[in-house]
This record gives sequence, C-alpha cells and structure tokens, in this order.
Amino acid sequence: MKEKECIKYMIQLVAINKSFKEHKVVNDISIVINKGEFLTLLGPSGCGKTTTLRMIAGFEEPTSGEILLDGMDVSTKNPYERNVNTVFQSYALFPNMDVYNNIAFGLKIKKSSKEVIKEKVTKVLALVQLEDFGDRYPSQLSGGQKQRIAIARAIVNSPKVLLLDEPLGALDLKLRKQMQFELKHLQKKLGITFIYVTHDQEEALTMSDRIAVMNEGKIEQVGTPNEIYNKPKTKFVADFIGETNLFEGVIETHSGNKLSVLLDSDEKINVIDGTLDKLKQGDSIYITIRPERMKLSHSKVESKNMLKGIVKERIFIGSINKTVIKLSNEKEVIINEPAIDTLKFQGEGDEVYVSWEYEDGVVIN
Amino acid sequence: MKIKNIKSLVLLTLTTIIAGTTLTGCGGGSTSASSGSYSNGTVNIFNWSEYIPDTTIKAFETKYHIKVNYTTYASNEEMLAKVQASKGQYDLAVASDYMVDSMKKQNLLETVDMANVSNFKNIGSKFKNLAFDLGNKYSVPYTWGDAVIVVNTKKFKGDITSYSDLWNSKFKSSMVVLDDERALIGIALKKLGYSMNETDPTKLAQAQAELIKLKPNITAFDSDSPKTKLINGDASVGYVWSAEAYLAEKQNKDLKTFVPKEGVYLWQDNFVIPNGAKNKKNAELFINYILDANVDAAIAKSFPYSSPNEAAYNYIDKSILNNTTAYPTNGVIKNGEHLKDVGNSLKIFDQVWTEFKQSN
Amino acid sequence: MKKTKKSKNQKQTSSIVTTISPVLLWMIILVAIPLVIVFIMGFLTRGIYGQVEYIFTFQNYADLLKPMYVQIFVYSLWISLITTLICLVLAYPFAYFIANVKAKYKVLLFMLIIIPFWTNSLVRTYAWMIILGTNGIINSYLLQFGVIKEPLKLLYTNGAVILGLVYTLFPFMVLPLYASIEGLDKSYVEAASDLGASPLQAFLRVTLPLTMSGVAAGSVLVFIPSLGLFFIPDLLGGSKTMLISNLIQNQFLTARNWPFGSAVSILLIIITIIFIILYFNKSRNKGLEVM
Repeated sequence: MKEKECIKYMIQLVAINKSFKEHKVVNDISIVINKGEFLTLLGPSGCGKTTTLRMIAGFEEPTSGEILLDGMDVSTKNPYERNVNTVFQSYALFPNMDVYNNIAFGLKIKKSSKEVIKEKVTKVLALVQLEDFGDRYPSQLSGGQKQRIAIARAIVNSPKVLLLDEPLGALDLKLRKQMQFELKHLQKKLGITFIYVTHDQEEALTMSDRIAVMNEGKIEQVGTPNEIYNKPKTKFVADFIGETNLFEGVIETHSGNKLSVLLDSDEKINVIDGTLDKLKQGDSIYITIRPERMKLSHSKVESKNMLKGIVKERIFIGSINKTVIKLSNEKEVIINEPAIDTLKFQGEGDEVYVSWEYEDGVVIN
Repeated sequence: MKIKNIKSLVLLTLTTIIAGTTLTGCGGGSTSASSGSYSNGTVNIFNWSEYIPDTTIKAFETKYHIKVNYTTYASNEEMLAKVQASKGQYDLAVASDYMVDSMKKQNLLETVDMANVSNFKNIGSKFKNLAFDLGNKYSVPYTWGDAVIVVNTKKFKGDITSYSDLWNSKFKSSMVVLDDERALIGIALKKLGYSMNETDPTKLAQAQAELIKLKPNITAFDSDSPKTKLINGDASVGYVWSAEAYLAEKQNKDLKTFVPKEGVYLWQDNFVIPNGAKNKKNAELFINYILDANVDAAIAKSFPYSSPNEAAYNYIDKSILNNTTAYPTNGVIKNGEHLKDVGNSLKIFDQVWTEFKQSN
Repeated sequence: MKKTKKSKNQKQTSSIVTTISPVLLWMIILVAIPLVIVFIMGFLTRGIYGQVEYIFTFQNYADLLKPMYVQIFVYSLWISLITTLICLVLAYPFAYFIANVKAKYKVLLFMLIIIPFWTNSLVRTYAWMIILGTNGIINSYLLQFGVIKEPLKLLYTNGAVILGLVYTLFPFMVLPLYASIEGLDKSYVEAASDLGASPLQAFLRVTLPLTMSGVAAGSVLVFIPSLGLFFIPDLLGGSKTMLISNLIQNQFLTARNWPFGSAVSILLIIITIIFIILYFNKSRNKGLEVM
C-alpha cells in the first residue's frame, strides 16, 4: 500500500532531522513533493531551508529520517548517484571551461557521444536564449547570463528534480523579476519538478505551485500561495507573509460557523469560518486580517466588524495608500487602500472607523 | 580563513624559509677563540681541515694575546683559488710542495723572515732545501706523508700489491678516494707506468680512459675525512692520506694499509705567507710556535701526520714513530714521488678530471 | 592652478623615488653589478695558473656545446625534473589534506613542515647520511630484525641525491599548493559531484585544473633551486655525480677556470629565466590567478 503511494510522489522527506554538533538545524521535517510541481521552501535565514535542499541534493546526510526519490531511498547516496541537479547560489560555473564545456560537463561524465552532446547543448542554449555564447568563458558573462548558463548546465542532464538555491539573489530588481517569469515558464515547459529555496516571499508567491514556510528547522505550513497568504495557519506564517493585523482575544460564543470574540479592549468582533469545529467558548485565539481587507470610513458601518480609532500616519506608496490607525487600546493597525481616489484623504489625527467583513478574518490557534 | 589572510601567511612563511636558506653558510668552519684580551692583534690562518687541533690554537692565543681567525679548505686548488681571489685576507696558509712552486711563480708568496722563526733548526735536514723551494725562502715544512691504500680485510681477503689491483671488479662501489685531481690522475698514470707529473696529452688521455674504468668501484670522493667512511663501513677500500689511514686502523682493527709497488704519492705540506698579509709578524710567530718541539709533539698526538720536526721526536710516542703507516720507511720514501707544478698542462688535467667526474 | 599640479606630481615622484631607492640601491649593488661582472667574465680567458686574464674570447661559450658538458646540462635538468615531479606527487595529497582538515590541526601540520627549516639544511643533509649509511639507522634496524643479511647500499647513490633534494625542497611545493587548494571555492567540487562526477573525476576535471597555478608556482620554486643545490649531490651522492651546480663549483674552486665557470653560470641563469617566462605565460594565458 505504502509503496504504491510513494511512486505517486517525486520526493518524499520522512521525519528528516539534521544536527551540526549540538545545534539542531532541521527538526523532524516530513513533506511530499509531486511530479512536475514547483515547490518553494520559504523562510528567514537560518530556518533550515538550504540545509534541507542540500540533503535532497546529497551534499549533507540527514542525522535521521529518509529521503525518497521517485520511490527509492537515496538518503545515503552520494550526489553523483542521484538524478537531481542543483543550480547554486554562486552559479559555480567552472572557470577553466568555456560555456559549451560547462554545460556539457554532466553529459561528458555520462560518456554521451559527441553528436548527442552537441545536439543537447545547442538545444538548451536556445532554451535560455544564449545561442552564441558557447565559446565564452564564465568570466566574460554578466550575472544574468551566468544565471542562465547555470540553469542550462543543470537541465541539460534531464534530471528528475531541479534544486535551486536562491538563484536570483545576486541580480538587480528588474532582472530578478524578469528571471522569475522566465524560470516559471521554463519549468512549465520542461515539466521538471523544481524545488526552489528563497527568503523573498514575493518571489515565492509569484512562482510557486506550493510553498512550504519554514521557521527554526520546522515546517510551519505547506500550501498554495493563495492558502498561505489568505489562510495562514500559524502566527509566524501570518506575520512572515505580507503584512497583517493580528488581534488576540477570547471566544465568547460559538454558534455554527460564527464566532464572537472579546478583545482585550472590551470590543467585540465576529469571525465566520467554516473550519473551526474544535473551538469552544473560553478558548484564546488570534485573528488575522490582511490590510487590504480593511476599509476606512467617517461613519459607523453595520453588519461588519467595526473598530474606532485615530489616524496616526498616512504613507503613499505608488499604487497604495497605507494608513496606520491607532485604536482605542493603543493597538496599531495598517490599512492598505488603492490610491485611486485622492479625495478620500483623511488627515492625521482624524477620527475614523475601521471595518471588515466577518469572513475576512482568519482564526489562528 | 579568508583567502587574503592565507596568502599573507603563506608568503610570510615562504619569505622566512627563503631568507633562512639563503643565510645558510657552507664551507669551512671557523673556530672562535676563548677568553682573554687580544692586545697583540690578530692573525688570519687558512689551513687544511683537521690539521691543527683547537687546543693548540687556543694555547697560542692565550700565550701571545693574539686572536686567531681560522678557516679551512679541503684541497690545494681550493686554497689557491681563494688566495688568488682575496689578496691580504690571509696571513698564513699551508701549501703542498707543488703548490708552493706554483704560487711562487705567480708572485703570491712573501719571503719568510727566518730570523723570526728560530725553531726552524728543529726540522730534519732531509725535509729542507727541496726542489720546489731551494733555500726555504718562502716555505717552512709542517708535515709530510704519503697517500696509501687501505683495505677492510674482513670484507676483502688478500693483499694489494699494485695500483692496478684497485681496478678489480670485486671492489665495485666500495672505494672512497680523495677528491683531489692530481692524486687520482696520479694513480692512473702510475698504473700505466708513467710519472705522476706526466704532461704528454696522449698519455693523459690514456690515464683518463683508465680512470673512467675505475669509476664504478668508487662509492664516494672525500678529501675532508674519508676515515669516517672506512671506520663505519660505508667504504671497504680507501685511497687516503697516511694519517687518515693510521687513525682508521686504530679505530677499526679490520683495516690494513698497503703500499703499491709502483711507488707512493709523497707529499710535504709547508707554511707559506700569502702576498699582502697584514699580520706578517704574527704569522711568523705562529709558525715558530708550531715548530716548538713540545707543541709539535702535541699536534702529532691528535693528527699523526708525519712530522718533519726531529726535535719533537723525543716527545712523540715511540709506537707511532715505529708505525710504518704513520711514518713511512726510508725505502718507501725512496720509491715515492713528489708532485711538481705542471704549468700550462694543468688545463688538460682539469679537463680529464671533469670528464672523469661526470662519467657513469 | 597648473603650478600646484606640477609640484604635486613632482612630490609624488620624489616620494616614490625615496621609498624604492634603498631597495633599488641594494638590487643594483648586490644583484645587478655582480651579474654584469659574471656576464663579462664569461668572455675572458683563463691564465696558466688559474687567474683571470683580460683577453676577450668566445671560447668559453663555445665550450658549452661540447658533448661532455651538454651531457651534464641534460642530466641536471633531468634530475631536477624528477625531483620536481616527486615533490609534486608527494606534496599535493599533503597540501590537500592540510586544506581540508580542521583549523586547529592546520597550524600543527604547518609547523611540521616549517620547524626543520629553523635548522641548517646542511646539518639536515648530514642527518640523512647518518640515516642511510652502511651502519646507519635504517640498515641497523633491518639487520637487527633479520630483514636483510647484508647492509643495503642506500648512501652515495642517485636515489640518495634525489631523496635529499626532494626532502629539502618539499616545503616549497607544499605551500603554494596549499594556498591554491585552500583558495578553491568548495562549490565547484560540489557542482561537479552534483553533475555526476565521482570524487576521482571531480578531482581530475575540476580541482586539479583549478589548482594549476599552485602546481606551476610550486614547480618553479622547486625546479630552479634544485639546479643550484650542489652540496646535496656532494654529500649524499659521494661527489660522484657532476651536475651543473657541481660543475660551476668545480670551475671556481678546483679547476680554477673562472671564465668558463661564469659562462656556465650565465647558462644556468638563462635556463632559469626561460622557465620563469614559461610560468608567467602559462598563468596569464589561462586567466588564472598568479601566486
């Protein structure tokens, strides 16, 4: 039964732990990755995402646990025995070889014939739009070009999985955004499973089919970008992804899928969420609401959550008006509104009402 | 470790090593004197290695309050090269018979003022007034001896009667010989029945051919202290100076000396004063000191090269005087040959020597 | 405005001159002038008694072409080449080991190489004579334990000479190799492994080519001095071999042919310069770092 299940997945990490000396860097991680999926490991520095990636590649051996690649246990196999390829953060293009031979490296090791090598290398160079760069040396390439050659060198070997370790970190913003699209398109075109590591949540949200948010060696949540953003399961995820407003309170009543929550400012708010059967009266919970789901108004609003406050600060960021509101219990919330209607400008010190729909709050245990 | 730091560490290490290696000196050592003030100046002595014991030098310094700067060499040619190169650096040197002749002709020597060397009378008459320096104007005899063949009788049975015995292939890689071109080319000439002072190019070419045949038997060239190799067994046959042979025999009872029938290479080493010597008086004083019967006898105890100082024979151990290795018999002396300066032909000797040294 | 600019340049030039003039002076007096003297002496003639006569001649340089001497040069180059290769083969694993070991052991390993250099290399060569001699340490042990019946002939052989040369010059190969290997980005080896290369393949295709600058630097630092170390063939070889270094020594001391000795010395210097130029060219062409 288990074996049949295993073959469905491209990669399976089962209870992976990794410690360096006394320091536990990866703490009991289990995750499955589907074939052809673009999965991102997202988290702050030191959360263990790179170490996890390196264990999949074979550069580190797990202290305990199993790594299954296409159904086979590769936990103890060397990197050159696994059919995965890596795109390194520093590109690691061999300086003593030209672009052609860099890309051909893996094929030469496999002893492919000269004709096959030529065909495959030419093909992949076209794929990354660097057809004439075959006889250049890495020292003669720009950052973005090195990036693409590194990718070419990896995918020319038709790996089952491509591992990418913060590959866009060294590029400037515009180039980075362009490469994000290109990588996504490439992955869709080739159908290879991508495992991507980054600390940039915007990048993760843009490119991934699914994201695994990591913190201090553990996986906080795995889900689609939509799920991660709109339905964070932990405080960390809510906080790490985008901006959020977090309220803490105690459940007063629980009827059906509607909760009435008492905040410590003695104000009450309601939350409608169909997945909260296990909660009961008296439980302490967090409620998180995204800034763009909140609205400002001068007058009271009915049949929505409403809190009274004073405008503390207004910030104009191009397409968004960001307002910081100070509520009655000194708590600050952020509201993002599209900056289309400048007539709605509220001055600092003005009294306002902050409102949001019952369904827009997300409960976190 | 950052790359920059590593590079600095490596470069610093390399610089230290290179500097250290460059400052490594080689060549003769110098003995520094003991305590005492040197109110009477210095004297710069250039001598063969293992020729005058440290104790004698120190005794001289203490007695006369003269500091001795002592450097050594291992061959006449080395001494000549250095004396030619540095006029005035040395006050006293020791030259073999033919070298006295050669240096005389090149005006490299000062006359010795015999008034300052009263102990000259101690020297036996058969050592004075020889062909290379008639009337002893430039030289004062110091030691004499010959070059002999030594064999480790435990390894090789049988006597050596002729130089040609050395060419026997049973001696492969077992000989230590003097690193001295005249001595070695000499035995090849002797083997062929010629004189050691032969200058005919054809005959020298024959000698070269013979020497090249001898090379496989030679395990090492050593003019410094070949007895060590004989004593510790690195070599089982040696062509060495007589005093070295005597000392070797004393230390290793298996060693025995042989005198070949063609006659030995006889030599006499003499004190000379190089031209331009800055401390001539001190040099003459030193010569006189060495020629004192007691002093010479003491030297003979450490380095029993045969002494020409017949006054010292009263104080030298009879057993040494009677030992035929240390003090060759009159018969051996009669049959022996002194080296002469060969003038221009030395160039041929040099070429023969180079060819011989680099042959396999 | 122009005036101040000019004096500023002047000030810069004069400060440069003051800084380098001590070194420049040292180089001129102790290096340039003696070299010129040696070069000129190669064209003079040897007198009967071995003194130098001021008669111009090409004979000395012509004599260099004699088969006897050519054989010496070729043999010397051959010995130096073998010495360099052996040093390379032994030093590379050692340097690799130091580069990959924990930091606290690195210092210890370095000291192992450097401490012998605090003693005179001549003394250390004598030490080898004691180890290799007929009644030396090695033979004594082997005889004692019955491994051999007769003492082995270790000393006064070509092998002993090469041993002495390799031993003396070993650190000069290790240190540049170490710097090169240590400076190698580990991710290159990881990338090679990732692309399917076994450790041996990764070494041959990536590590070795990328540490070539260290190999070249080390080789030059071993090869060139090995041509000049005359005391090792003298002591460990029993003075039996005539290498280019012994030939030069011989000309100046025994044969007393300074003009010819000078000609051979200049030849040695030219050989050295050729190898250094080759080294620099190779490093520049590959675009690799020069040590």
